[in-house]
Amino acid sequence: MLKYMLCTLLVLLLPCSMAFADISAGNLTVAGYLKNETSLRIESLNGDLTKFKNILELSGEYDIKDDQLVFFTKAKYWYDAAYGFRDKLDIAGHYEEHIQRTDWLRDCYLDYTNGPWFLRLGKQQVAWGQADGITILDRVNPVDLREFWLPDFVDIRIPLWMANINYSPKLNSSLQLLFVPDFQQSEAAYLGAPFVFRSWTEFNNFQKTMEGIGRAFDITLRPPPRQLHNSTWGLQWSDRVGDLNYTLNFLYGPYYNARNNIYTSTINGVYTYTVPRAFKVWRVYGGSFNKSFTEPGPMQGVTLRGDFAYYNDEPTYVGDPVAGSTKGIKRWDNKFWLIGADKTVFTNWVISAQFAQYILEHSRDKAADRPVQQQYPMNAYTYGPLDPVDNIFTLKISTDFMNQRLKPEVLWSFTDDNQGKVSPKVTYEIKDNLWLTLGIHYFYGNPWDSNGQFRDESQFYTNLKYTF
Amino acid sequence: MRKLILFVALAGLIYSLAFAEELEYFKVYKPTPGMTADQIMRIKYFNKYTLFAHDVSYTGRAFFIDKSGATRERSTARKRINLGRKSDDIAYKDLNIFTGPTQVKGLSNLSWSYLDPKREQDVWLWLPSLKKIRKISQSASDDSFLGSDFTVEDITTRRFEDETYKLVKEDNFPGYTSEYMKKTYSKDTPCYVIEATPKRTNWYYAKRLVWVDKNYGVNIYEEKYNSKGEKFQTIFRLHKIFDVSGKEYPLQMFLEGKELRSGHRTEIINDTVEIERGLSEKQFTPEVISRSRW
Repeated sequence: MLKYMLCTLLVLLLPCSMAFADISAGNLTVAGYLKNETSLRIESLNGDLTKFKNILELSGEYDIKDDQLVFFTKAKYWYDAAYGFRDKLDIAGHYEEHIQRTDWLRDCYLDYTNGPWFLRLGKQQVAWGQADGITILDRVNPVDLREFWLPDFVDIRIPLWMANINYSPKLNSSLQLLFVPDFQQSEAAYLGAPFVFRSWTEFNNFQKTMEGIGRAFDITLRPPPRQLHNSTWGLQWSDRVGDLNYTLNFLYGPYYNARNNIYTSTINGVYTYTVPRAFKVWRVYGGSFNKSFTEPGPMQGVTLRGDFAYYNDEPTYVGDPVAGSTKGIKRWDNKFWLIGADKTVFTNWVISAQFAQYILEHSRDKAADRPVQQQYPMNAYTYGPLDPVDNIFTLKISTDFMNQRLKPEVLWSFTDDNQGKVSPKVTYEIKDNLWLTLGIHYFYGNPWDSNGQFRDESQFYTNLKYTF
Repeated sequence: MRKLILFVALAGLIYSLAFAEELEYFKVYKPTPGMTADQIMRIKYFNKYTLFAHDVSYTGRAFFIDKSGATRERSTARKRINLGRKSDDIAYKDLNIFTGPTQVKGLSNLSWSYLDPKREQDVWLWLPSLKKIRKISQSASDDSFLGSDFTVEDITTRRFEDETYKLVKEDNFPGYTSEYMKKTYSKDTPCYVIEATPKRTNWYYAKRLVWVDKNYGVNIYEEKYNSKGEKFQTIFRLHKIFDVSGKEYPLQMFLEGKELRSGHRTEIINDTVEIERGLSEKQFTPEVISRSRW
């Protein structure tokens, strides 16, 4: 353990030698950071380290021609030493100790601006919608949930290679076309990792039990073939009417989360479960708005924002939530909407509240070949019951002290099922280039709920970030 | 003779009425002898928000220095386009981008200010950690401006209509010695000394004493007092006069704000200034800041 600590210290101290060095020269700008993220499970503060992640990120921008043609790239490497402390090479460690595959390349694109045209070509992420922390329209990129929804969204979205073409026909209006030939599935934590989804653990337990009695599993991942019609397409129209900014959105493409279908058969005399993990095509129709009340009156100082999405053919699990057993995937037309309000009170206290509803097309499936108890919608994260209407609330309060050097914040997100997450944190600017964050993520609720499944994973964490 | 007096009085009345209205954008105004405190302060606000120019761009640095001398630094790029457009009430649009340090690099703030003095700004924020643009409410006027010793209204939101004014005296400015620059500025500049009292009750200050340069109508120094008559904040502003097509534009180049109770101070230095670049209003839209790379 001491070896890893020393390595981390060295990595953190190395760039101190080039502290404040001006690495912007001519048209080239380079910046980056080193960061240590450490978390301890609250239930066992006697040393149950769940994360000791050291991150190096470097960004470079090269202005090829007068801000009209600019190249930008960002690379990232991380190493989570917590897996080295475990004294065993488990499957989670194999996948989560180091950065995987091409994930190190976070951004790599060329920007071209000419009159009303703006093109961004390359690996990038695109954020749609107005919601904070809830992905209603923000579905262009897949997501990396290996640490659940805890990291910043810039780290949660998985960048994709795409063409992002924008045309502004008039002031404050813009038409955006996205063509995404690239595909990556959303990532989830692996078995044994702190934030592995209960559904995966349940399925793995089922698999082990069945294999114990001589049954076989044939699990295959079926990413969409690389063909034009499997590409993701997006369209967004942004405009302003009076004081109201709005967007209209459309997205077509493969759903980024694979869904398990289970078929049974006897192959070579062995009872076999065939599990194709497929990515179904879906469509999102939606829109968003924001409006600040700037005129004098009781609403002055309030900003309202909202998202609405109609998910056409969203792959939805149905099955027996009590037994934690899925029986199939249905492609339902579900709806998700949110409204949020922000206001500053007492000089520098910002209150931000959101209410969202995720509404399923049906309260249960109506398959004739299965008993009723096997026809209920299931939470894909937990295989627990999914409410036909899920009410979600978030409340964030933030302020600052010491000339914005000390910034406390608390975020509480919860649903009407008495489950949620409370995340207080405080960030302190030690120096311009050295920032410390201390915080807690406290999960509560039933184990079959999205947050409640991690009620034993509540954590105390620190982030120390050195920028250059 | 009586006709002449009548004519002069009428001309004076028309002049006063003209100043009761907003000053016309893209013109240069300077105080003239005999002006009232209100007229002087209208010019002062006109110049503060650079309404004489179509657009102004700055790059600069801000230093936040606590009592012990510990210093934090921010670097920024700022652009303003003045419009004074009555059809949609837009006065001007500002874009502020943090260019350093890396922790805040890319954080951008777009604000639209309106002609109606009672109307708040529309504000959008680009958040690099979310890679997303967020509409936010205007910061409270008495909040610290980006962690500095200036309040939000000191820099962006205070309007002529927010205070009442009284001309205290005409005097030469005694000079201001900057702790940061170690130099004395503006010594013996002829000034109007104006007492400004906020119209809001229970506001964070009871009055300001403002020194306005007689030649250019800019605020070079001010002191804020609380309800007990104690001075708690000083702000010094150094201006540079730019000659643009024969017109003299006074622009702020250096600001030093001191919070006397905490001993904290803020230095803002504008390293570069560009005027009348012909900026397009299309550069001041939420869509454009959402294309930020940082």
